[in-house]
Amino acid sequence: MPTDQDLLERWKDEPAPLLPLLHAFHERDSYLSDDALRVVSKGLRIPLADLYGTVTFYHHFSRVEGGRGRPRVCDGPICKLKGADTLLAELDGATAMPCAGRCDDPIPVLVEDRYMVGTPGSELAETPAPMPTPNPGEREECCFAHIRAEGRATLAGYRDTGGYRALARAVQEQTPGDVLDVVDASGLAGRGGAGFPTGRKWRAVADAPGEPKTIVCNADEGEPGCFKDRVLMDYDPHAVLEGMALAAYATGATRGFIYLRYEYPHTQAILERAIAEATEAGLLGQGILGTGFSFLIYVRRGAGAYICGEETSLLNSLEGKHPFPRNRPPYPVTHGYEDLPTAVNNVETLASVPQILDRGADWYRSLGEGEHAGTKIISLSGDVLRPGNYEVPIGLPLETLLFEWAGGPPPGRSIQAVTMAGLSGGFVRDLDVTLDEPCLRGRGSFLGAGGIMVFDDSRDMIEVARQAMSFFAHESCGKCFPCRIGTQRLTERLAGEAGPRNADVWRAEVHDIGHTMAAVSACGLGIAAPLITESLLRDFPDAVNAHLENGR
Amino acid sequence: MSAKLTLDGREVLFEEGETIYEIARRSKKDVPTLCYDDRLDPLGACRLCVVELEGARNPVASCTTMATDGMVVRTSTEAIEKHRKTLTELVVSENPRGVEIDPLRGMASQELALLAVRYEADGSRFEGATSGRSRKDDPNPMILRDYDQCISCYRCVRVCAEQEGDYAISVENRGFQTRITTEFAGFLEDSACTFCGQCVQTCPTGALGDLRALQNADVPGEIEKTRSICPYCGVGCSVDILSKDDKLVGVQPAMDGPANEGALCVKGQFAWEWVQHDDRLKTPLVRKDGELVPASWDEAFERAAEGFRGVEAKHGRHAIYAVASGRAPHESAYSVQKFVRAGFGTNYIDNCSRA
Repeated sequence: MPTDQDLLERWKDEPAPLLPLLHAFHERDSYLSDDALRVVSKGLRIPLADLYGTVTFYHHFSRVEGGRGRPRVCDGPICKLKGADTLLAELDGATAMPCAGRCDDPIPVLVEDRYMVGTPGSELAETPAPMPTPNPGEREECCFAHIRAEGRATLAGYRDTGGYRALARAVQEQTPGDVLDVVDASGLAGRGGAGFPTGRKWRAVADAPGEPKTIVCNADEGEPGCFKDRVLMDYDPHAVLEGMALAAYATGATRGFIYLRYEYPHTQAILERAIAEATEAGLLGQGILGTGFSFLIYVRRGAGAYICGEETSLLNSLEGKHPFPRNRPPYPVTHGYEDLPTAVNNVETLASVPQILDRGADWYRSLGEGEHAGTKIISLSGDVLRPGNYEVPIGLPLETLLFEWAGGPPPGRSIQAVTMAGLSGGFVRDLDVTLDEPCLRGRGSFLGAGGIMVFDDSRDMIEVARQAMSFFAHESCGKCFPCRIGTQRLTERLAGEAGPRNADVWRAEVHDIGHTMAAVSACGLGIAAPLITESLLRDFPDAVNAHLENGR
Repeated sequence: MSAKLTLDGREVLFEEGETIYEIARRSKKDVPTLCYDDRLDPLGACRLCVVELEGARNPVASCTTMATDGMVVRTSTEAIEKHRKTLTELVVSENPRGVEIDPLRGMASQELALLAVRYEADGSRFEGATSGRSRKDDPNPMILRDYDQCISCYRCVRVCAEQEGDYAISVENRGFQTRITTEFAGFLEDSACTFCGQCVQTCPTGALGDLRALQNADVPGEIEKTRSICPYCGVGCSVDILSKDDKLVGVQPAMDGPANEGALCVKGQFAWEWVQHDDRLKTPLVRKDGELVPASWDEAFERAAEGFRGVEAKHGRHAIYAVASGRAPHESAYSVQKFVRAGFGTNYIDNCSRA
């Protein structure tokens, strides 16, 4: 068993050392003891009170002896429908965790680093995550174009299907400016939810003073109902690495981090193996492909905090600080990791880049419907016959996806509503929309990271809304007042635990809280969370009235 | 000042690097805040200082937004005031209702209460769970930790880190479960706390309170403030002496004190009870047959003068050296040095404050 000193020596001079060092103690001792925190505090020179506070921020760090070995059961919106509460009661010492990103499978259960799935009354099984089904719409894909090829996750398999061709051409024949021009022209925009044009972000990093520059791959896929980044990393890890290397070449970055959510331990192993293979082959590391370009990638595992998917919280988390979002401006492109220029990009965005550079900007633009450029992976789950990841042309009618591609609701049922952007886009009841931001924003929602959860007519929408708001309350970082207090008050009102009994007063309170949260919250969490209640009040007035009559 | 912005319809010049809030405040705009302390880096937590900025989709927090040339800002519109009212009602709903906060708790302790009056937030809206958890078990005799009143504005955490450099207190958990804590959620005396009291004085709700001052909560009378200088050491921290009638009831640091800007140390902040202590000498004592016994002032002066003269005659004037006490008033310190310099003609004078 390694000593405290061994662990400290292993990590203290590495970049972004706090999280891996804490994980090392967590794994060795099965919890984070006071003594471990004292060693880390001293070794990394972090004030003990700060370190203690930061550790308590993450819900997967256990402070109780043996805590890491206790089962964590996903009780996300879809797993609730599958009986997560029963499974929780069945497993000894189990506690709930928010959506663990496998909504197209049975219920995920995490025990130490074993990621299993199961349903109440069945054995838990450690199985690989589902591969995207063969493209049902027969539309040309970008990210998923080769993902189903045998061995694509290995370097040899990746290269057999054209992998690292774009990187080789970039570093040997193109200038960074050439790469930026192609990405700009492709119309690629952030696929993590914010939709900022990728080319513009990279150009800002390239132009910003200060070195070293950093590429951060945001793989903290925490949005309930989103599981697309996991499938990309599990089955096409080299596409993510190649995308990062291209981003580095275009911006002048020399170091990269993949910030991976805690719930994907197997993915960490896949990524680390892929990094080792690529480095061995001279595709990463010092002097890539014999040129003067160097780029190193480090994987850093989160510890359970949805807010760390917000890019500035993520940067604080990497730096070992309390993961509150930062005030902006300045933006990460000029003041990112360690206050230096940094591009933070989502997994899907980065995985699209090799294909775009290989096949050209025009090809990528043409993948979208009509005026829309490119594709978007949709994680579809809930009450449809074929849940899973689908790469759709941007602008595809939602009904085409739901009914033609995914087989519609179970027999005898109809679709009551879907969520958009996981939970962040609230509910959409009128399904006559297209999957693109202009259309969805026009309906008071947004596409975001592309999680769509389907609820059929048997589901209690007030209960679904309560769970959703309870998730946001659980994950609110606590920094800004409207989000910290607002998510709590909205949850209480949906649960009927507190709040006025008069229906009009109830509605006025819920609306006022949501209105102020959406307008003045400090980050996207508090701005988006009230879309749940706003869409509930708008689309389900009868359910709200019934809720207020029974109980409240 | 070359850059200018439009603030509520009037052009205002500003320096590069000023925030909208700073400009609004010096333009006498009454923009409310709860998490703001001008000695600290702005955090943007309470969102009460939001203003309308032309061209921005949502209101912006004025404390964290740098002014840029040509901005058009409105500090108080119907929509902004409505958000401020909702925010105030939300924050009032976090704490138990109807608790009177004695102003002796700390100098900023009335901020939330005053805001609640301004926005007519009486606690009747947004009822629900309360967030604070008081630490009545903390045995320290100086700092009250009544977190039932806490609103998680983080001023205490920030002042401890940014001003005092102690990093004794921090933030535990997330969201509505957020608590202000110390290492391992322990007592202050087991933490890195130096009991400087700055957290107490920046707390806008009285969740942190001055326990020494609060002993005088029941003393009748209005609190009066008298500006003075802390006598304990040579830094020269400005303080406000709090009194009710003739009774000293507390000490608060002066925010505009040039040497301390609102800071004090444990002695300046909390060690003043000896002034009115029962054990203080009220008459001079002289030694008779090895015993100290009360004496008249005349007798005491006579004895002291005799001693000084004897030393001077035998060893010369430079054999005399005086040390004044930091617990004596400034006037006494002045008199002692005058007495030594003018009376004996020597510069051998010092003060225990010259630490």
